[in-house]
Amino acid sequence: MSLTLFYFLGIAAIYILMSWAIYIPYRMGQLHFMTVANMAISAYFAAVATLSWGWPFWLVLIAGTLLGALIGWIASFAIGDAPCFAVVIVGFTLIYLTKTIIENTEALGGPLGIFSIPKIIEGTSAANRHVILIIVYLLVLLVGYLIYRMDHSRLGRAASSIFIDRELATTFGVNVKKMGMFLQTFGSAIGGMSGVMYLFIMRAISPNHFTFHLIGVCMTMLFVGGYTTQWGVLIAAPLLWGIPLILPESVQSWKIVIYGVLLISVLVVKPEGFITRPFLSKISHRIQKILFKKVEDKI
Amino acid sequence: MGQNDSLLMVNNLEVSYGHVNALKGVSMNIRKGEIVVLIGANGAGKTTLMESILGVNQPKGGSISFKGKDITNSPVDRNVRSGIFLVPEGRGVFATLTVLDNLLLGAHHNLKQASDKLKLVFDAFPVLGERKEQVAGTLSGGERQMLAIARALMSDPEMILVDEPSIGLAPIIVNDIFEILGKLNREGYTILLSEQNVYKALKLAHRGYVLETGHIIKEGSAGDLLSDPSIVEAYLGA
Amino acid sequence: MEVLVAQIFNGLSIGSIYVLLVTGFNLLLLVAMIIHFSFPVVVVFSMYMAWITLQITGGNVLLSVLASVVSAILINMATAPLFQHIMKKRGSVDINATMVISMGIGMVITDYLSHNLNHGFPIAFPDNFTGAGKGALVNLGLIHISFGQILTLGVGIVAVLGLFWILYKTKHGRAFRAIAENPDGAKLVGIPLLKTGLLSYALTGLLGGVTAVLMAILLGSASPGLGDQLGHKVLAVSIIAGLGNLHGGLVIGLLLGIVEAVIQGYWAGSWSNAVAFGIMLVAILVKPKGIFGTKL
Repeated sequence: MSLTLFYFLGIAAIYILMSWAIYIPYRMGQLHFMTVANMAISAYFAAVATLSWGWPFWLVLIAGTLLGALIGWIASFAIGDAPCFAVVIVGFTLIYLTKTIIENTEALGGPLGIFSIPKIIEGTSAANRHVILIIVYLLVLLVGYLIYRMDHSRLGRAASSIFIDRELATTFGVNVKKMGMFLQTFGSAIGGMSGVMYLFIMRAISPNHFTFHLIGVCMTMLFVGGYTTQWGVLIAAPLLWGIPLILPESVQSWKIVIYGVLLISVLVVKPEGFITRPFLSKISHRIQKILFKKVEDKI
Repeated sequence: MGQNDSLLMVNNLEVSYGHVNALKGVSMNIRKGEIVVLIGANGAGKTTLMESILGVNQPKGGSISFKGKDITNSPVDRNVRSGIFLVPEGRGVFATLTVLDNLLLGAHHNLKQASDKLKLVFDAFPVLGERKEQVAGTLSGGERQMLAIARALMSDPEMILVDEPSIGLAPIIVNDIFEILGKLNREGYTILLSEQNVYKALKLAHRGYVLETGHIIKEGSAGDLLSDPSIVEAYLGA
Repeated sequence: MEVLVAQIFNGLSIGSIYVLLVTGFNLLLLVAMIIHFSFPVVVVFSMYMAWITLQITGGNVLLSVLASVVSAILINMATAPLFQHIMKKRGSVDINATMVISMGIGMVITDYLSHNLNHGFPIAFPDNFTGAGKGALVNLGLIHISFGQILTLGVGIVAVLGLFWILYKTKHGRAFRAIAENPDGAKLVGIPLLKTGLLSYALTGLLGGVTAVLMAILLGSASPGLGDQLGHKVLAVSIIAGLGNLHGGLVIGLLLGIVEAVIQGYWAGSWSNAVAFGIMLVAILVKPKGIFGTKL
């Protein structure tokens, strides 16, 4: 497999995971940008754990995910039921803090970062890449499944009700704070997980990888795809990440501007994105009809 | 005074909020110089009707015309400039602004005449003059109702819509307010009033309409309505 | 001790910038009813416009100032319909959507600055613009107060006073305050919400353009990332002060400037940023709804 294909597939998975990490708390209306900080923190943790402490990959992955979850959980005690703007600024400040600490700490490589992250298996680089891709896409499947279960349970319905009208939801007995704590912890866990996988895909990290551009790109993927279902991200992330890669260099340099314009346009013209719940039920009805026809024909 | 000139004509007005049909074909005719009262229980649609006349809602069907011109889809600020002003339910004064600022807001579209209007208003409502630098939140209920009415006068209206002025006010104050409304009417202002205190309202008004779940079920002169047994039973009970 | 006093003066100047930015942000929140934390990005863009004008006109200060103010007003007015369009759809889309649109606008402007203006390198303002050439105006031991600092503080005070004058003594200011207290009530008395909202975009644009000039004088330089950084600080300041709380914003803005300057006086590096953000993080975690109470 070529390096380009590897990076495309690998980073696409990361974008899917990170966009889902933001999708989850936004189900109740909170933009939990802390997930990017979780990504950075867990990535650096993974680097240190692998290089300095000699931890094996699977341990690092689990620990990194749990670290993300822990940070998200602790913060959610304060902001679990906070208004969206408070959650946003907590996310931003944590990102700033994390980046500043990393940049000023020699032991973490400072502004240049950390290199030479080892392979996760004994063998060739190519085999390593295959293994990493398999692992990261298994994680995508796992997370996708968990999100699916959540969306189609009373948790998902409760989150939607909070999104529509927080006060009304409270009168139904929905505990907004608990919901917020759960969703934020879940999102932060995925952020941590993405950070670890990102480290092993790139085999190097630096503070420049965790920028506010990342937030912007994930937001574009979430809103263009559609923030009311998880499938929007699944389709939008690979497309929005992949298409610029095959465009000429001169257009590529305008990537962020194009994303920004896309984000604004979608909000003005089609606020719920392209993959919406009505769209999905239309598709599932069509599929059912086709399947029934096939069964009928056979009989 | 031209009692027979129609000032406001509402024709088969239909207004919905989403899937809820608040007004289902309401027709009304208000003549210049009248006091007309709108009677109805909570939720009958009185506020919706007043706000639709003011221009807050986009009607689904029907029409409204004021001084002969169609204002069905006219926005609020244009209607205010044409001479309609609402004294909202609950007074709607801005508690963090001073009495003076509240009054000047009434003259927002017409500031050149503001100082003349202020003189008139302070003559009619001396207590407002005394408290003009006070923040409106410190006024009593009755004073706030006077402020809301005075604010309407600042815009030099031809028709004043008054939405449930007696709510939350002691009976003595309500009498004062109704006296003020009567006086204003004699000075030439046309008034459409919605009220739950049906007796006092019908004593004040020339004519009335009865609104029930979005329909006008009855209309007539105030005297006729006062002696109508079904009205007495429904709205003038204990 | 002298260092402390010197840094407090520094802090007051930078604090004035924060106050101006926070006030613009709060105005847009109260009257246009949007959360526009990319407003500082627009201000930085105006700084670039001033710089370009300096390059083109060979150092004409007056034209640069004009360019800054005009560009800020134009961008604000141009983006107003975007915000107002989604405001009309209220019910399914709420004020948080304005935040996302603001982010989109910030993305576009910041990236444009990174690519197209000065090839993404930071821009520097010449000495005759910043008044740096004039040396310190006040010299008391370690305390050097430059022309730029005095100007910033002075113009900042005038601008805030001017703004309060507009708010309390003019017809539109009255309308602003009415909308800030109760938008629906304001609509009922005939205040045109959209038109008045547009005015607030223009006024904030004017404020932003002036702030851009002051920043150019005080900081002497700008970079594409400056807008984002300021945006986050401004959002944090206004949240801590209480969203929409003009007086609170004044206090906290100045306080942040002083805290930052004092830290910078004693510790080198970008630690001042980290500490400032750390303090803000704690403040928001402790009181997510703001110290002085919020409008939302």
